[in-house]
Amino acid sequence: MLNHKFLSALFAALCMVSLSMGQNADISPARKQAIDSLALEKVRDLSKYISIIGNKKTPFSEATRVMDRAEELFAPDSEMGVSSLNRKEINYYKVRKYFERLMALNYDRVTISWYDIHYISDLERQPDGRYVGVVTIYQRFEGTSDDGLKYKDTTKKDITIYVERKKTQIQGRTIEFWDVMLGDIRVSETSA
Amino acid sequence: MKSASVFITLILLSFSLQAQLVDEMDDESKLYAENKQVNQFFRRFNGEEDEKGERYYPKDRLYRSEKLRKKYIGILFDASNAGISPDLKVEFTKDVINKDKPVILNFHGGNWFSEVHTLFLMNGKEVPVTLFMELEKHHQGTRWVISKVYADIFKPYFERDTVKVGKFLHPLSHELDFMNLRKAFNNPDSVSQYTLKKFVPDHLSVFLYEVKKGNLKFKTVQEVKFHFFQINGWYFELAQFNRPGYNTGWLISNLVKIKNESEKNLLKKYVYYETK
Repeated sequence: MLNHKFLSALFAALCMVSLSMGQNADISPARKQAIDSLALEKVRDLSKYISIIGNKKTPFSEATRVMDRAEELFAPDSEMGVSSLNRKEINYYKVRKYFERLMALNYDRVTISWYDIHYISDLERQPDGRYVGVVTIYQRFEGTSDDGLKYKDTTKKDITIYVERKKTQIQGRTIEFWDVMLGDIRVSETSA
Repeated sequence: MKSASVFITLILLSFSLQAQLVDEMDDESKLYAENKQVNQFFRRFNGEEDEKGERYYPKDRLYRSEKLRKKYIGILFDASNAGISPDLKVEFTKDVINKDKPVILNFHGGNWFSEVHTLFLMNGKEVPVTLFMELEKHHQGTRWVISKVYADIFKPYFERDTVKVGKFLHPLSHELDFMNLRKAFNNPDSVSQYTLKKFVPDHLSVFLYEVKKGNLKFKTVQEVKFHFFQINGWYFELAQFNRPGYNTGWLISNLVKIKNESEKNLLKKYVYYETK
């Protein structure tokens, strides 16, 4: 009798665990909104860093420091895939290399600004259990040389975001939280 | 107020509303109108987001509403493609936004796949390779996998004339322990004549072999499009349009009404370059 009771309790406990695991697998609309905000915060940080790195008035040491900060936003091995209106083929750069190229652009004045618009995709679960999404933003670039040469373009940036549930210990207590990392970025020039 | 004007823009796209006299950076209406991601195409097709791209959920009044879907579906077509007749679009729209049986695109519903045009290097020379990719369930989630490959470079190796008599191994070859195979393989060009008439070459296997041998090295992606066979009785192609104006982003670039299963199979063969 006792054995039967124990087995029933164990079965009930297992059901609850699997139910809660099932619930974890789906992200509720409220949770999704919170993750979207977190992702946008990281994307805004990246936008800010790109503007600083590209700005010709930024001292080299400051730009290097900002590049380090920007790199920390990304998952390891992240790349930028760049194409232009004239060349559909994608050129691939490691994130750091992309920043270095941006800093070394041959203009005397560079202005990088961002459109207000952004688009956030749904989150999809990948085989390793992490979630992945894509945030789209638009950047306006203007470069001017002292001899009057002017170049401007608008690029669409489709930014991969990885969303993962992580655990941390705070004063002996285990706290679970959702973490967002940036991944590969597709940069395409648009005619908008 | 801005939100309302954006919505009006979306509805009146067919009139090519031009936001002149507005500073480029202030005029974001074109960017709002663009189907920025394939994800957005799905959401707009299904009526699952508002005019600013904020997602609707089942509890929301307008979620998948007929009214919303009618507004969106017009901006999901490549307006410059005269090959898609207005009548066909109307028929498709009627079928899809059917009040009693609405058709919803399902990301995980299968029957849609991607065609990815890539460039590889073979002996230092660029060669185009087309990869067909589809979504597959794997462990805790899904992943894109290569389902088929087509490459012009492989084609000559499989060419053969099945009409003429050609070369063959006579029907009593087995009595001689197939000793005539030596002569058959003497000329590599005619080897394919000794295969089954209905043999279908598989470019994916050759592709994997060449990549693993180090003969094919990936260079870049050139173009991506999608083929949808998910809606009963219809096929459509989704391509990306990067051009000025409001009719941009991921748009339906081809639409075909399919009468039966054999038409569907024929179309699939065409898409996969299997009729070439």
